[in-house]
Amino acid sequence: MIARRALVCPIIVFLAVIGQLAVVNRLPLPGVGKPDIVLLVVAAIGIAAGPATGLLAGFAGGLAIDVAPPGGHLAGEYALVYCLVGYGCGRIRDLAQGSSAERSAMASLTVMAVGVAAGEAGKAGLGMMLSDPNVTGPVVKHVLPAAIIYDLLLCPFVLWFVSLTVGTPASERAPEPQFPPSLRLAPAFRLASAGAAPRLRLAGTTPPPVPPPVRTEPRLRLAGGRSSLSPRTNAAFSSAPGSALSGRPTPRLNLASAGRGNQLGGASALRAPARLQGKTPGKGWLRPPRQASRTVRQRRSPGKGWIVAGKPAAAGSWQPKTPGKGWVRPPRPPGMTTWRRRSPGKGWIVAGRPATPVNWQPRSPGKGWARSPKPQAAPKRKSPGRGWIRPAASGALAAPAFRRSSPGKGWLRPAAPPPAPRIKSPGRGWLRSAAPGALAAPSWRPSSPGKGWLRPAKPPPAPRLKSPGRGWLRPARPPRQNWYTKGPSTRWLRRGRRKRLLLGGRR
Amino acid sequence: MHEARRIRPVLIVLLVVAVALITFDFRDSGASPVHTIGADVFGPVERVAGDIASPFVGFFHAASGNDSSEISALQKQNDQLRAELAQAQVSKAAQVQLEQLLRLSGSGGYRVVAASVIAAGGEYSDTVTINAGSRNGVAPNETVLNGDGLVGVVTVVTSDTATVQLATDANATVGVRMAGTRQIGAVSGTGQTMAGTNDLRLTLFSATATLHPGEEIVTFGSVGGRPYAPGVPVGEVVTVTSQQCALTQSALVRPYADFSGLGVVGVVIPPPAKAKATAHR
Repeated sequence: MIARRALVCPIIVFLAVIGQLAVVNRLPLPGVGKPDIVLLVVAAIGIAAGPATGLLAGFAGGLAIDVAPPGGHLAGEYALVYCLVGYGCGRIRDLAQGSSAERSAMASLTVMAVGVAAGEAGKAGLGMMLSDPNVTGPVVKHVLPAAIIYDLLLCPFVLWFVSLTVGTPASERAPEPQFPPSLRLAPAFRLASAGAAPRLRLAGTTPPPVPPPVRTEPRLRLAGGRSSLSPRTNAAFSSAPGSALSGRPTPRLNLASAGRGNQLGGASALRAPARLQGKTPGKGWLRPPRQASRTVRQRRSPGKGWIVAGKPAAAGSWQPKTPGKGWVRPPRPPGMTTWRRRSPGKGWIVAGRPATPVNWQPRSPGKGWARSPKPQAAPKRKSPGRGWIRPAASGALAAPAFRRSSPGKGWLRPAAPPPAPRIKSPGRGWLRSAAPGALAAPSWRPSSPGKGWLRPAKPPPAPRLKSPGRGWLRPARPPRQNWYTKGPSTRWLRRGRRKRLLLGGRR
Repeated sequence: MHEARRIRPVLIVLLVVAVALITFDFRDSGASPVHTIGADVFGPVERVAGDIASPFVGFFHAASGNDSSEISALQKQNDQLRAELAQAQVSKAAQVQLEQLLRLSGSGGYRVVAASVIAAGGEYSDTVTINAGSRNGVAPNETVLNGDGLVGVVTVVTSDTATVQLATDANATVGVRMAGTRQIGAVSGTGQTMAGTNDLRLTLFSATATLHPGEEIVTFGSVGGRPYAPGVPVGEVVTVTSQQCALTQSALVRPYADFSGLGVVGVVIPPPAKAKATAHR
């Protein structure tokens, strides 16, 4: 941004100077007075790029007008006036904008008009002060109003052009996800939790109708689980439109302790049972359910992700690798013997891997996580690609039975598309399907918070109580370090506040 | 706020620099070398830009001027005839005496370098830039005219461009002579010519002379033809503004040249030897 300004601003000012001298001053405009393009450009730069840039642009442009050949006035006159105008416009813009984050075009235009009028008056006043014989009272009385009128007429165009080329300061700020009101996270989650993930909801919202009978830990469950494990989820699935859930095991997202009697999920994981070698779940926060039949396993930290899918029941060859950036991972299908925990790559919520008993690949194939190499081996339980809950090959989506298991393009969505189509793939890395370009709704793109969802660089200010701010489904500091090595957040978890936040109404 | 605090020294420094520039230029009465440097820097660019923009500006002039090209052609012819008439009157009045007065005796020897306007000053200055410079033989303090009459005088010259102070600039004073009565006086600009009214103010030196509207005015000429060559038509008297009790006669003069639509101009270059000889004499 700075480099662009350093390149663009001098070009604009230079073009304005040349255009003013070579074209505008020669035009036989009606009336006395002429528009001052350089003054307009300087004021617009001050507004669009701030007082520092406006100051420098004003001085440079004014000095150029002063010393460029036709001249006609003392060197330094316009440099003095223009740099004050550029600085003043940027300063007033900053002051006026200080409280309100949004930039009003009308306010900018008003500031620019005032600045330009003051600049014209300053030119005339300075000329009179310096006893320029060309700038006398009668002359100023005729010229000044006409010049100001010309300038005001050109204000919007110049401001638009300069804002377009220089760039508004809003773009230089941190990317602030601006969710449209209909697309804020809470409705999206409610929508999703109505069908695919009844347990995934925002803190403070209404608890699910049926509390889980066994699990005591807070959970986030995405997608349909096995019917034997999560009858409630299945019920929710079957109630969702277009999803006739069969008994087939489907990929699932078990957030927190989805497993029966899980001691690893969530806060209990932090308490670190002895047989888990005392490891804490790391950055992950909602850990997958521990399987009852599991023997000794290494509990590594799930990496940056914090909602980890359920783990397979038979943990013989369990590789507790960190899931990387992945965040919500489905539970392992029931009959799966070997389960490998890999980082899901860019994807965020990754579907369950196919139950490839013997020859699963030890590495993640390419970008997708657990992109299953053999679709024939596990046709129904393919691994997702980049996207979130997705079959390995997009073509495999044609199978309706499989679609039920993996929501595919949609996020947190059963087979039927959600009523709000904008909840489609939100951009890079966030609950995204394999082909983002074709699917990403354009309205989502500026609002996708970047690499991870639920950990935007700066959460949207408005839904802070509900949206994934610090308190919601997320540790205080997302992934940057091993936060479980830090005291405060652990304490924060132990207090059970997570439970309260997650299952807000059910305390 | 931090940014504002950080750039405040820059602001102060730039303001001080600007005030210093104004001071130096004011001391040199607007002729400091800064203008020469600026002309050297911006001259070539303006030359290119002016050449590019000239058709555009000319189109605007044609569009904003008289609607019919026939009218403009007739007016041009009228102006030309009027200028010829003024010259003829001058010649008829006292050709030999005038030649002596104007140091025009002999073989003339004035050379005219054609140039076109490529840039113009702002609303408070009556200056233009032409695309002829020292490479073409143009030097400071040389008369600039066009087909209609006097335009101004060259002030700053670079290799490719020259700055012309128009006769209507408030800083310009031209020695003139009444074409008919041969009374001498001075014409000064009133400013704001590029923007609007372009009347000049004429003051006769003789208290007994009389002024009548419609009288032709030509330049009186300077030593060596600098800054003003003699015999260039300036304009005609429009209104006599002198009071009864005034010491000198004064009038408003409408110049022949259209200062708001200057196109092709000519720079009168006096012969060096002639100028030297006349100066010696």
